[in-house]
Amino acid sequence: MNARMRTILNSKRTERLRLAGLSFSEKVALLEKLRDRSRAIVSTALYQKRSSRGRKVLVLRERREAANKFRVKS
Amino acid sequence: MKETLEVINQMQADGIIGRYAIGGAVGATFYLEPVATMDIDVFVSFRELPDSRLISLSPLFDYLKARGYEARGEYIVIGGWPVQFLPPGDALGEEALAEAVETNVESVPTRVMTAEHLVAIALQLGRAKDQARILQFIEVGALDVDKLDTILSRYGLLEKWARFGYKYLEDNS
Repeated sequence: MNARMRTILNSKRTERLRLAGLSFSEKVALLEKLRDRSRAIVSTALYQKRSSRGRKVLVLRERREAANKFRVKS
Repeated sequence: MKETLEVINQMQADGIIGRYAIGGAVGATFYLEPVATMDIDVFVSFRELPDSRLISLSPLFDYLKARGYEARGEYIVIGGWPVQFLPPGDALGEEALAEAVETNVESVPTRVMTAEHLVAIALQLGRAKDQARILQFIEVGALDVDKLDTILSRYGLLEKWARFGYKYLEDNS
């Protein structure tokens, strides 16, 4: 890791610590902005599920285990 | 979220739910940097049906729907926030609910699970995002390690914690 990257990562950590130190009310206000932004992104045409045909798909083990747990036996 | 908490407090005052505590991502936000989340997990003491060990959510949903709040699957949308009401599930959850800390959002009182209980529950769940959240708690120094060790020991989670530590933490013994 070079010095520039180290500086960037340290500044990100400093900002995370600053945000963690805000009051709960201030944090909730940020949560609501983040929530609204997430909703806006999800509703755009750019946010689309890609077809898995012909593509390698990565699946979290916990997702597959949950899917198998509730699969109905034939 | 102010309206959300006011409604939940009123539900408690009206006897629809017992004591409650915020857990999950919003609960973690009390201690950490805010991260995007789409819902609020509210752990509550529910009334059990007479002569049954079943927990009924019907009174809760009926109460909220009568006041104009919309149900979406397992969520009820209150004050713009989808809220999931959850029973504690096990002894660890019961203890987390009982020992939640009092705080407020824009002067509306509420209760949030302690950092140590949130970490214990995350460790128990063990998903990738739970492990990431545990690391966040460690990074900001939000944990009372002795208290955490006591909780983990009480609920048989020390082995899981040791494996987590081996994977992610420096050995400073």
